[in-house]
Amino acid sequence: MTESTVILALVVITALGFDFTNGFHDTANAMATSIATNALRPKVAVALSGLLNLIGAFLSVEVALTVTNAVVKIQNSDGTPKETLTAGGGEALLIIVLAGLVGGIIWNLLTWLLGLPSSSSHALFGGLIGASIAGLGWAGVNWNGNGTKLDGVVGKVILPALMSPVIAGVIAAAGTWLIYKVVTGVAQRFTDNGFRWGQIGSASLVSLAHGTNDAQKTMGVITLALIASGDWTDTKNIPFWVKVSCALAIALGTYLGGWRIIRTLGKGLVEIAPPQGMAAESASAAVILASSHLGFALSTTHVATGSILGSGVGKPGAQVRWRVAGRMVSAWLITLPAAAIVGAVMWYIGDLIGGLGGAIVIFLLLLAAAGYMYLRSRREPVGHHNVNDEWDGVPAEEQVPVTAGGTK
Amino acid sequence: MSDNLGFALEGAWKVLFAGLVLGAGLPLLFALGIRSLAWGAGGEAEVHESGVTGPKAQPIGTVLAFVLFAIVVLGIALGITFVVASGFGKALSFEHIYPTIVPKH
Repeated sequence: MTESTVILALVVITALGFDFTNGFHDTANAMATSIATNALRPKVAVALSGLLNLIGAFLSVEVALTVTNAVVKIQNSDGTPKETLTAGGGEALLIIVLAGLVGGIIWNLLTWLLGLPSSSSHALFGGLIGASIAGLGWAGVNWNGNGTKLDGVVGKVILPALMSPVIAGVIAAAGTWLIYKVVTGVAQRFTDNGFRWGQIGSASLVSLAHGTNDAQKTMGVITLALIASGDWTDTKNIPFWVKVSCALAIALGTYLGGWRIIRTLGKGLVEIAPPQGMAAESASAAVILASSHLGFALSTTHVATGSILGSGVGKPGAQVRWRVAGRMVSAWLITLPAAAIVGAVMWYIGDLIGGLGGAIVIFLLLLAAAGYMYLRSRREPVGHHNVNDEWDGVPAEEQVPVTAGGTK
Repeated sequence: MSDNLGFALEGAWKVLFAGLVLGAGLPLLFALGIRSLAWGAGGEAEVHESGVTGPKAQPIGTVLAFVLFAIVVLGIALGITFVVASGFGKALSFEHIYPTIVPKH
């Protein structure tokens, strides 16, 4: 086995790890509202979402090889890696991709630990941007595109992030307001039962769309790495094992469920009733599908959060916890730069040590950071058992069994 | 920067419009369906003064409700078709008003 084969293996494992965090980070986008309103039991919700993500990932046969082109310049427009980076088994490109992925994963884990629904695509792009700046300089980043279409960091990342939550929020607010107007005079028990079905349907659609959109990104990154090292040459197709492993990674991650984030989105922002949940998920599904139909990149997380906020604004007399919303927005703002800094630092460390040793050190740093954050999360575990507890202060008698009964 | 802003604003209007029609319109139909269903069921399904029996059941309401639910289901089916079609390199075309699956250009 040559040195670059080992680095390639590390890149593939890390990319699948990222896909996994992408899955559990985003379970909340589809399922938080259904869990909060008891439309689905927590375990059933994550299982359904995981299954639909798996199916969704297989539906995305479209080649997503050029995914990194939106933000960095490590590929040609046909998807092949830049020739300058592929010398010597593609090590230069592999280290950039590895450092970028590590940046994305570490940021995803940190925001998960804090229960903040930040965007996984921003984390991935941020990591890649940081690693590219470190490895190739400022010119290695595609800031603005070439002016012929929506492209570059500004067009594919920043502008959609500013606009999509607002659009989704307006639609969800309009939907919620209309629904409550229509059903005045109908007994609440009757409406709640009906809208729970609507919620399950619309949330399933969001899960399916998530699988098709997000699993593709990792498939593209892995295939890029394979081409760089010379193990794959076809730019029109993705190796089948890559598709299978990415689909499984995102589905397993979704099934694991990012309970901390589900709790924030489902209970923290707004007290959600079934009609609001249905309005929010329908708005999310419509915005995600309409945007991908028109070819816009956006983050499911931003859309889902905007929708849930909108459903709080649209229901007369509902309470929106704007402080929680403010924390989320600040997490969004720093996601890209923070992941970029981690990505850049990782690249410098890898470059300083050099070659295989560098790649292994980066990988070990990732494992150490992930292990530390996992242990920290065990201090205050959030799982399917307590995901729906009241947001403001857990009663004292409930805290005792949580710590005494262990976390298994 | 300004080019990108222009493209983004242009796209944002389309997404907002499509989103309002599908993302708020379909839930509105669903809500109307629930309302008709309650009207059709009568009695305890509708808010009424306590002590008296609820409004009379209206079978036409139930029929209307299921017509409305059918439209919503069709809308969702359209959404799923869209996801699947774009996954296989096809697109949905609305040029004949009713949707048809065409190769993506």
